[in-house]
Amino acid sequence: MLDGILAGLSTAIMPTNLMMVMVGCFVGTFIGMLPGLGPISAIALMIPITYGLDPSSGMILMAGVYYGAIFGGSTSSILINAPGCSSTVVTAFDGYPLAKKGQAGKALALAAYSSFTGGTLSAIMLLIAAPALAKVSLSFQSSDYFALMLVGLSAVAAFAGKGQVLKAWMMTILGLMLSTVGIDKGIGVERFTFGLTDLMDGFSFLLLAMATFALGEILFSILKPEPDTSEDESKALSDIGSMKVTKEEIKEVAPVAVRSSFLGFFVGVLPGAGATIAAFLSYGLERNLAPKEKRSEFGKGSIRGLVAPEAANNAASSGSFVPLLTLGIPGSGTTAIMLGALISYGIQPGPRLFVDNPEIFWSVIISMYFGNLVLMILNLPLIPYISKLLAVPRTVLLPMIIFFSITGVYLVSFNTVDVFIMILVAVIAIFLRLATFPLAPLLLGFILGGLMEENLRRSLMISDGELSFLWERPITLTFTVISALVLIAPVLLTAFNRRRAAKKAAFVDSCD
Amino acid sequence: MQSTPISLLSRDRVSGLIFLLVCLIYGYQATQIQLFPGDEYEAFTARTLPYLLTAAGIVMSLLLIVMSPATNCNEIACQQQGADESRLDWRLLISFVVLMAAYGLGLTWLGFVLATSLFLLGGFWLLGERRKSVLIGASFPFVTVFWLLLTKVLDIYLEPGYLFLSL
Repeated sequence: MLDGILAGLSTAIMPTNLMMVMVGCFVGTFIGMLPGLGPISAIALMIPITYGLDPSSGMILMAGVYYGAIFGGSTSSILINAPGCSSTVVTAFDGYPLAKKGQAGKALALAAYSSFTGGTLSAIMLLIAAPALAKVSLSFQSSDYFALMLVGLSAVAAFAGKGQVLKAWMMTILGLMLSTVGIDKGIGVERFTFGLTDLMDGFSFLLLAMATFALGEILFSILKPEPDTSEDESKALSDIGSMKVTKEEIKEVAPVAVRSSFLGFFVGVLPGAGATIAAFLSYGLERNLAPKEKRSEFGKGSIRGLVAPEAANNAASSGSFVPLLTLGIPGSGTTAIMLGALISYGIQPGPRLFVDNPEIFWSVIISMYFGNLVLMILNLPLIPYISKLLAVPRTVLLPMIIFFSITGVYLVSFNTVDVFIMILVAVIAIFLRLATFPLAPLLLGFILGGLMEENLRRSLMISDGELSFLWERPITLTFTVISALVLIAPVLLTAFNRRRAAKKAAFVDSCD
Repeated sequence: MQSTPISLLSRDRVSGLIFLLVCLIYGYQATQIQLFPGDEYEAFTARTLPYLLTAAGIVMSLLLIVMSPATNCNEIACQQQGADESRLDWRLLISFVVLMAAYGLGLTWLGFVLATSLFLLGGFWLLGERRKSVLIGASFPFVTVFWLLLTKVLDIYLEPGYLFLSL
């Protein structure tokens, strides 16, 4: 393991890779600050660029963009109450009131320090948890993998939100359906190609990711124009006040940051849960734990209320790399895109990654830590200067982003048919968004589809067509039971809530 | 008292119906996948996963159709939804889709530099930019620099447009 860590460290400290972290953090911060664009869009836009790099550098760049985008999202949450992504919504609860009190600088500094704490602690936990889990998963067989993928897909659907579970499942199935287009890798027959040579290789991951999360997001913001906040943001950033944090304040928030980091990391490890749930949970936990006089400050500019979600969402972002790097199962839309990118490089994430490509495994983990350092040391003082970039009007920015999305796909395939397919997919994605269908499960299903089919094929062949493979091995059985529980949990919860509501109504009636 | 009109076709139900249709077409196409002799005895063929997905998709879409409530158009939520929808700028979106499709065609016929510059110029114009300095300055020079970066620095070959090849 030590050899692997040293190999990873030497890869991570290469000048090119250090530059990748810095560029990634900077670009991510800028994109994350733009309302409506979050880490998924930022990473999707980066994929074509990473195709020209070696896998380690590509992953390091994307990890930097990921952290930068979350930090950028927090900045716009604090300054103008416009979260760039869902995981920084909670940051606005107390960050914005602090900014309104004239303490924007302090709020930004606290957000950066707590993100750094979350990143540091989660990097240490990742350092311990990832190799241990990778070692365990080396004993996995195809049936275990198939059941594990079921857990991943069902968890993503289960955490999709109230009233969204069914729709998330439908999107997962649609993604799996799209993954079956092209020549079947196991048998070699054409499926759903309609005789078109452009469909023989199936849909390109890059095309789908760019169309749904980069082009789709921009076209949606054109369809539903939001007020142009770039001027407000730029104005707010030009005068943020002092960034000094007092000793008393550090003493007050240090335990909050540590607790939230641990909570965030473990929530992040769960497939599907992610940074948003971690941020909400830690905020709720800290409000309950706070002394009475401090509890009333929550929502009005509490520094505890700002630190908790910031530490948690950063730790959760690192945590979501555990299932990705050790099991090859992405826990969120963002890590799903990274999984797709890794597969495109010819690298299969999972337990073998730890054995076959330790330099990639460790360099990504170490670079994440560097990313946190860069964000704190470099990005925080640079925020007033980034504001200059935000002064670019939306009338110029949006066509530019569309151009980068289209060119990103075109420059990989040099096929204009891909451009037309991309436009079609982006338009479909807009309709799906209007009908409140989540898009991350679609991508997750698409990416896992091929692997899932391969493992199902092997398992069924080994068990001679019997479904008993789902419960014959203890590991497979455990995963099967977990996925079944995750699957029926929303139904049970709904039934439980209805029953509780009915009981409450009966009690009210009896009181009347 | 006036009864409130209830539409059975809520947005979710329409989505469910469309998804059901997609699943049925997918399922039909799955039956057209070629099988090799002896495949009928195999535990897993190229049709197995598509069949499973068709079945799962049909169940899910039926659940959505059955479980989603009918729309009561007099509800405040519906008014809010209507107000939100009236703010959607479909004309601008369609203009952009047409512009992007034209850009796709332009890449083949006009080549990268001209097609991209015209696309950016059109995009700025559609979003309301009227300053000539921005319209011209942010399109042609930017694309030329980008093209030089791609072709001279990164050594990527970009084919000239058919129009120029035929000259």
